[in-house]
Amino acid sequence: MNKNKKDLLQSTSARKGKAGEVCMNRRRFLSKTGTYAVAASAVVLGGGLFAPDSYAAKKIGEKANTTLLKMARDIYPHDTLEDKYYTQVLTPMIQAAASDDKKLSELADGAKSLDQIASQLFGVSYIDIKSEKDRVSVLKQIESSPFFQNIKGALMMGIYNNPDLWPRFGYGGSAWEKGGYINRGYNDIDWI
Amino acid sequence: MSTKFDLNDDSLVVIIGSGAGGGTLANELAQKGIRSVVLEAGKRFKMDDIENDEWKMFGKISWLDKRYVVGPARIAKDFPNLPAWIVKGVGGATMHWAGVAMRFQEHEFKMKTTNGTVPGANVLDWPVTLKEMEPYYEKAEKKMGVCGTKATGMPFHGESSHYKVVKEGANRIGAKCEQATLAINTETRDGRPSCQVNGFCMQGCRIGAKWSTMYTEIPKAEATGKTEVRPQSMVLRIEHDKTGKVTGVLYADKDGNQHLQKARVVAVAGNSIESPRMLLNSASSMFPDGLANSSGQVGQNYMTHTTGGVYAEFEKPVHMYKSTVVPGIVHEWKNNDPGRGHVAGYELEILHLGLPFMSAFLNPGKGGWGRELADSLANYDKMAGFWICGEDMAVESNNITLHPTEKDQYGLPVPVVYKADHINDTRMRNHAYDRSKELFDAVGALKVNNLPPYPASHNMGTNRMSEHARDGVVNRWGQAHDIDNLFVSDGSQFTSSGTENPTLTIVALAIRQADYIADQMKKKAI
Repeated sequence: MNKNKKDLLQSTSARKGKAGEVCMNRRRFLSKTGTYAVAASAVVLGGGLFAPDSYAAKKIGEKANTTLLKMARDIYPHDTLEDKYYTQVLTPMIQAAASDDKKLSELADGAKSLDQIASQLFGVSYIDIKSEKDRVSVLKQIESSPFFQNIKGALMMGIYNNPDLWPRFGYGGSAWEKGGYINRGYNDIDWI
Repeated sequence: MSTKFDLNDDSLVVIIGSGAGGGTLANELAQKGIRSVVLEAGKRFKMDDIENDEWKMFGKISWLDKRYVVGPARIAKDFPNLPAWIVKGVGGATMHWAGVAMRFQEHEFKMKTTNGTVPGANVLDWPVTLKEMEPYYEKAEKKMGVCGTKATGMPFHGESSHYKVVKEGANRIGAKCEQATLAINTETRDGRPSCQVNGFCMQGCRIGAKWSTMYTEIPKAEATGKTEVRPQSMVLRIEHDKTGKVTGVLYADKDGNQHLQKARVVAVAGNSIESPRMLLNSASSMFPDGLANSSGQVGQNYMTHTTGGVYAEFEKPVHMYKSTVVPGIVHEWKNNDPGRGHVAGYELEILHLGLPFMSAFLNPGKGGWGRELADSLANYDKMAGFWICGEDMAVESNNITLHPTEKDQYGLPVPVVYKADHINDTRMRNHAYDRSKELFDAVGALKVNNLPPYPASHNMGTNRMSEHARDGVVNRWGQAHDIDNLFVSDGSQFTSSGTENPTLTIVALAIRQADYIADQMKKKAI
């Protein structure tokens, strides 16, 4: 058995209880389909989404690997956020795809269709389109596909429901254990 | 030692649901020595289960059984399986509510008299007046601990930064804004602590400062030995005898085993989708259209409040989450002034969402992505905003029906919710969007975002009260016109929605109904 794959699978199942449950309900809420787990913290590998020689990268293809990262950054563009916050959302999706042909083809075909549309409209592949506006026009064409919506849904959870990022958005998260805000600035404002 | 009643005990009141209506009714009856069984579809949560985490609590406590939303409204596209944002658990939606406790205005009990016939709507006067309700509102405010009222003498919470921004904007455009009367303690009261401003009122109050039947009415009722609560008990149908009186309730326990609990009286309080659904599911050869449905109004006139959200972005931080969820209310347009282009009124309820929910609601649905949305979310800490809460016109075709073929995990037909705006709703919402923008612009907003309605937490009207049996399902006591020992005890008995949040009125009606049930039982009328 591929050693790399074993490690990846273990890390996925360890997260399943917590993140998987939340994600399931979030999808219920947003009426999505699919079974991708969203990780609040994930193994981040160097390079693209994965080291080029990793099992997962080989499965999905190196090209798709970079296309998906670009797409993720275009869906919720926060220029000051490091790539790792996007890759840690995509990583478990691709890991899950490694053992599920349906998910694998959704991702691989999705990435391919992006390139096809990009090529028709702009004569280059998706990642080579220079302007964000033009890339968005490509994404708009596949906006309602499960491929796009599953990635968007996972990103929403992975970016905005990520406690590691809350301080950067100025959101406080859980407060009861700190005594709430009654003595921590609930009425502080200096510009009114 | 918790009380257990026998399934064959036919002297009991069986209450279906343990939220604002059912939980209050159980305790009020228990205090009078009347015994009841409360059948609750959801689990019993502990205080330790409550976390300050929006998605986690959404997943844990929400009613997520299969439902459909259909109709032209955007919600049918954005949330096709989630018409309502309510709770499945002991305490019901009182776990989730933000604590806003306001009395109806006088005219809201008589909308037909006030405005005449509204074309395209099915508007009716309540068979109850504000004057009759006032003593019960007073009792409800005392029971729940509503701050800023004469009934409790508890002070308001104080002005949060979020409140101050809105208050300033309101002042600048000459609109009336006040702190909210919340059923959230500002002093230690009734064995519960004072609010420490966690900012997660809608995820369940972790410290119990907010009134919820989960840890007030229900344990108080149980302590009398007169009430037995059976969680994870999903009602399948209400049984009746050949005279048409209800005799018991068939339910499935957590393992799917079915039990028939006999009853002297049945009170339905499962919120405005489940309550009519139960009556429809109880159709029999004697009542082929469902129980208590001679009027054909069971499941009709579904109202949710006319809602929407407005979030403004400013140059400097607001930190709206450091506040009770609803710190204040702009009351300026709550009156009935047809000169605005719509009848009935609305409140602008200052309300915060956390970043996780803001990302889901700012532009919900498939198109909610891209730089504009991301830039707004990057300004999360500089946002202030409202939830619009206005009167929703009763429209007969807005309704709850049963899916013709699809069944849920209990084998019951899946409920289908149809909801469309009445033209009055659309005009009111647009008026509210415009005034909100004016208010926020006056205090320096850089951008004002309008949000479409979210899944409804205020669900009303589907078993409405009426003076005449032909117009509605229940009489002025919430008693079915057709069946004397069948009651409706939740917001589904509302004849009109009012602009106010429904919980205080549900509780006041339940207190009043308990008096009536006790009286009728004593007289052996039921």
